[in-house]
Amino acid sequence: MENKKLCMALFSGSIDKLTGAGVILSGAAADDMDIDIYVLLMGARAFIKGNEKKITELSEYPELKDEFFASLDKLKVSTWVDFFKMAKELTNVKIHICSLAGKMWGGEKMEDFIDLTDDICGIGEYITSAQEADVHLFI
Amino acid sequence: MTTDELQGLTVSKSVDARGTACPGPLLAAKKAIGEIKTGEIMEVLSADEGTKKDIPKWAEKKGHEYLGTVEESGFFKIYMRKG
Repeated sequence: MENKKLCMALFSGSIDKLTGAGVILSGAAADDMDIDIYVLLMGARAFIKGNEKKITELSEYPELKDEFFASLDKLKVSTWVDFFKMAKELTNVKIHICSLAGKMWGGEKMEDFIDLTDDICGIGEYITSAQEADVHLFI
Repeated sequence: MTTDELQGLTVSKSVDARGTACPGPLLAAKKAIGEIKTGEIMEVLSADEGTKKDIPKWAEKKGHEYLGTVEESGFFKIYMRKG
């Protein structure tokens, strides 16, 4: 049986949404789904080399940042990068950076992005992947 | 299977995921099932309520046989046979 396919548009680059995306990826990886992640506008900032550990902004309830981090720590929740890494170890995950999004944050070449990145792509590829996917998420 | 039968099973792999919240136990189960042979039994220890339904459903979906769950104090043990 062919694996089901998940297409994720990762527009957001804040820690709450990246963590949420990581949890969803874990579930999809445990289910052996093939996963295509398209990193769009704000998301690309987190994938610039050196930025991945510096992301601390929350999209929602920014005033509850301390509580958010304390809970992550208490519940031993993985970092967003570790979630993405684990998913890659378990299943076929490809991470594509939108070329415009990369440039927005000073990333033009593969070496500008964290090692988890597979390629830099155009938006047409994302649309095609979304059309073919069994599950499509925009985060 | 009854609790006694489950407790009496010969377990080839025991995964203690009590220290993690969802999705930790599911990921631990997914990794560990690859380390045993078809027909062998794995138990997963978890204290995360979401895991209680998640792992049996995942196991059946992936072609393994869910054998049952044993409640302990503050955690539970999920048993499955690799398919």
